[in-house]
Amino acid sequence: MKNFEKKMFRPGMRPADIVKKLRELDAVAITCTGMRDAGQSDYKNRHRIYDLKTLAPYYEEMNLFSSECHGGARWHVGVMNRREDPFEEIDILREHMPSVMLQTLIRETNLFGYRPYPKNVIEYVVQRVDIDVWRCFSFLNDVRNMRAVAEVVMKRGRLFQPAISFTQAEWTTNDYYLSVVKDIVDLCAGTDEIVLCIKDMAGVGSPERISSLVDSIKQAYPDLVIQYHRHATDGLAMPALLAAAKAGAKVLDAEEDSLTRFYGQAPILALQAYLEESGINVLLDREMAEQAVQKVREWIGHYEWAESPFKGFDHTVTSHRMPGGAFPSSFEQAEKGGFLHLMPSILRVMSLYNKIVKYFDVTPGSQITWVTCSGIVNKYDKEKGEAGVQHVIKLLEKFVEEKNQDLKAMTQEEQEELLSLFATAPGDFKNLILGGYGKLPMGWPDEWVYRSAFGDEWKAKLETRKETSPLEQLQDDDLEQIRNDLGVTLGREASEREFILYLMHPKDALGIIEFREKYGDTPLVLPTNVWREGLKNPGDKVEFVFWGQPYCIELVSIGAEHDGLIHVVMKVNNKTRVYTIETPRAKKVEIRMAKGEGEIGAPINGNVWRIGNPDRGTIREGDIVHKGEEIANLEAMKMENALLAPFDGVVKEIAVKLNDSVQEGQLLFVLEKK
Amino acid sequence: MEDKIRKILVANRGVPAARIMHTCRDLKISTVAVYSTPDRLSHHVMVADSGVHIGDAPPAESYLNKEKIIDTALREKADAIHPGWGFLAENAEFARMVQDAGLIWIGPEPKVLSQMGDKIEAKKIAVRANVPTIPGISDVKSVKQIKEWMKHDQVEYPIMIKASSGGGGKGMVKVENESELPNALEQARSEARKAFGDDKLLAEKYIERGRHIEVQIVADKHGNVYHLCERECTLQRRNQKIIEEAPSPSLNDSLRHEICFTAVRLMREIGYTTAGTVEFIFDSSTKKFYFLEVNTRLQVEHGVTELITGLDIVELMIDVAQGREFAFSQSDVHPNRWALEVRINAEDPKTFAPSFGTITRLQVPTGPGVRIYQGVYEGADIPPYYDSLFMLLLTAGRNRDSAIRAMDRTLSRNLRIEGIKTITPLLLAIIRHRAFQAGDFSTKFIENHMDELISMFRVRDAQDEALKIAEYVARISALGPQEWM
Repeated sequence: MKNFEKKMFRPGMRPADIVKKLRELDAVAITCTGMRDAGQSDYKNRHRIYDLKTLAPYYEEMNLFSSECHGGARWHVGVMNRREDPFEEIDILREHMPSVMLQTLIRETNLFGYRPYPKNVIEYVVQRVDIDVWRCFSFLNDVRNMRAVAEVVMKRGRLFQPAISFTQAEWTTNDYYLSVVKDIVDLCAGTDEIVLCIKDMAGVGSPERISSLVDSIKQAYPDLVIQYHRHATDGLAMPALLAAAKAGAKVLDAEEDSLTRFYGQAPILALQAYLEESGINVLLDREMAEQAVQKVREWIGHYEWAESPFKGFDHTVTSHRMPGGAFPSSFEQAEKGGFLHLMPSILRVMSLYNKIVKYFDVTPGSQITWVTCSGIVNKYDKEKGEAGVQHVIKLLEKFVEEKNQDLKAMTQEEQEELLSLFATAPGDFKNLILGGYGKLPMGWPDEWVYRSAFGDEWKAKLETRKETSPLEQLQDDDLEQIRNDLGVTLGREASEREFILYLMHPKDALGIIEFREKYGDTPLVLPTNVWREGLKNPGDKVEFVFWGQPYCIELVSIGAEHDGLIHVVMKVNNKTRVYTIETPRAKKVEIRMAKGEGEIGAPINGNVWRIGNPDRGTIREGDIVHKGEEIANLEAMKMENALLAPFDGVVKEIAVKLNDSVQEGQLLFVLEKK
Repeated sequence: MEDKIRKILVANRGVPAARIMHTCRDLKISTVAVYSTPDRLSHHVMVADSGVHIGDAPPAESYLNKEKIIDTALREKADAIHPGWGFLAENAEFARMVQDAGLIWIGPEPKVLSQMGDKIEAKKIAVRANVPTIPGISDVKSVKQIKEWMKHDQVEYPIMIKASSGGGGKGMVKVENESELPNALEQARSEARKAFGDDKLLAEKYIERGRHIEVQIVADKHGNVYHLCERECTLQRRNQKIIEEAPSPSLNDSLRHEICFTAVRLMREIGYTTAGTVEFIFDSSTKKFYFLEVNTRLQVEHGVTELITGLDIVELMIDVAQGREFAFSQSDVHPNRWALEVRINAEDPKTFAPSFGTITRLQVPTGPGVRIYQGVYEGADIPPYYDSLFMLLLTAGRNRDSAIRAMDRTLSRNLRIEGIKTITPLLLAIIRHRAFQAGDFSTKFIENHMDELISMFRVRDAQDEALKIAEYVARISALGPQEWM
């Protein structure tokens, strides 16, 4: 094994220097996906930073090209399900592996979400996320959509890694990909400051196919550094990776052997051994990598619940093309929705569908495919049962495989059925075929698809179809307004990070903010078994150090449920505490809070001892009140608090009765402006 | 002639009741607590030797129920009643009823109470004793009357409308301009009626940037009237003091001497006995002080005076009530320390909205230079019917800085109160504010600096944060893995 420079790739390196080093490197470098795609592909992105950070000290010494630890669905799942903020994850990793380049995966105009964001949002977010390597892909291979991200990343002096979405289909030829690469090279002003990624997100590239693709790109652009990202779904990852390396790919993606299941990347130790045996050097500190692999075993058992119920490699992925990350989540949705048994049929419909509407099955395309196809199958299943499902598959098979998608070649009855196929397709599908996400790689679908999706309105809709990039279609958002709105919702100024989370996923951002206000740093502090299941038996304890001080939480007892309440007794640092936990069965007294303009809330907790004022007496619904006029008075701890009308108006509703005890913010009056 | 007191009924609750009972215990005098229905298990009842239920939650039925209290004292064979502060402490009628029942009233004579309770009367006496007073008018009935007075005496806004028989910030409304006048007058009238059963009002010039300085007086029935130096009570919110100290950082020795002996002169003129306070408003720009009122009771902030003088004012009150002559003279009073008091109120520190409920955890500070007056214990309730004050923290040191340092330690490291909100973050922000530390503040300090003070609140406290984690563990232990995971 060759002796390489330690910590060869580090944060802060200029992109040109990184590219130069890679060109000169007599070895293949590794991007480790253990902290992002491994978890996304086989564990629904549930790997917590609490566990992942235990790998960081090894990564620090492993001589990786980069650690892919950010982006893709990890952002959103972190916010929604792990209650981790992607910014604090970066902070933690920077602390524990300061010499490792952190890599993200970004969906061009869709950023870390599922819909195109306006240009100013893209620029604002990309500017503020501290990531070294920005892998950016387009599910349409519409390179125009990458412009905003590329500009900001390159201007910041970070490494831009444009990706071509790869799949195996009759139309995805080398010539097709070379045209995409040309657009990329034009966008990035040459090949000196970028690494090109071939993103084989479903794991479908055969060794021959990949070899030929890398080779043809290298022939056209000899200086272009190529990285191959490949999922293992079809079972052929290792030979395909070797083929890519032999053809000239300089960086390969891999994950800890102990993390590998079926849909993620190749095992890092095995890959290194396989490449070296084939005469290709690998830039990797084997000993440290072995320790990282071993470390994973200490906690991976806590995630069995998150693994896909659909086990094993699946070579039919080459026709249905469901990407690694979507695999477990699709099965999860099918299980939750009670249609797990329909999965084979859905996969079959997907493989026919993607011949009708051509794009790449990766976010958000894979979601559009999934929702559209599972919708069609479910609809037939509900209406006609198993026979109906088989019927629609036969119909599509005949149309796609026998009749070569010639609508006129189908019977009148079949034509009518096809013309209603997409009537209930999701809005995202309709937006896609109207150009809302950009150009489709092989052009727009046939006319009948529009007739099917839009019915009588199809002509009018077709006229609205756009040929431009969403970057040009979408109006900038008013960021200050959004920030203010968030501040109003939170009742305080939002932090910069909260604001960015909110820009990406407004509803879920509010969810994590609320959670963290209530439970603080819990997601970062608790071990995964306690995080997920709590303490089970009396005497069970969890110990941790928090802000420099030791803590111990010990379970004393969990009471039986009573009126929807459960009492939990615990010792927190030896002091006994009783917690009253509301179950979903707990009776709740609904208190209406004042929200919008015109809704007047109680300024304090207190007692409404007067409604109206001494001059005019009691105020009733329908009365007219004047700005500054006292409309009620609250008393608490012997102090009076006058409630004044904020404007001239009519009392639409009085939400309390005289002498009611009210809490701060509780709705008292609804006034209508005059 | 000396009356021997063996048993005292304390007609109060919370902090003052417990405070008085502690001295009684030192003097081997037994104590009877009275309590309202929600106070059955409250702290002061536990501190007393016995407790008697006197009525339901509303004060009028319990702690203001004169007949019931006196009946109880007689039945329990108490010799004396100490009213504490608040409730019936300055009620002349009650004092008279106590005496008429053959009990000892631990407080000023009823005649003095009614004289001083009437602010107009008090002001007249002050003028007679040659004590400077604030321009104002009494017996305010109408807006028109106030406007005429302001015109005639050339008084500018702001002005203050007060209940003649008021105190403690209740029935006091500040008026910034003419348009506020009608509402303010009405509010003051209504609060006065409610709090004191008397809606007589007066109006006064409001002194901007004024400082609130008061002199503690003790007087026995043998003609000895002493001052125990002054206290600075400038820091207020909504006209209620929240931080007090002794001595005052605003006075030099000659002003201190002048203000203290002015107070002694006035109290002599009145013929005052037992403990009382003369309050002044001090205009720091002109270095002039004006008589405000006489507080004819033991005051909340008496503790800072005790800390700097080493005297027990409650003990002195009991001595005076028994007819004893002071065993010391004015020249024996040598304050040699600096003391600070903060009031722990059950209120939101930002909005001052009252916060009642159960105190689920109470960790009371200890350490050098700390004195605590507690009105509650861990697990006790703060009921919504009474004052929000439930604990006093006092610290003392050889100078102002060391007293502030001890207070900082007490508030920031040792004190833990869970289950209710308290104004502790505000108190800590104030004592850490450079203007406070420089002794440069006025009665407007809190309202003028509120935003800045709020920004000084510690955002996250380590123990609070750790408890959030515990809360989560409890929840998941009870409910198991959650759907959202």
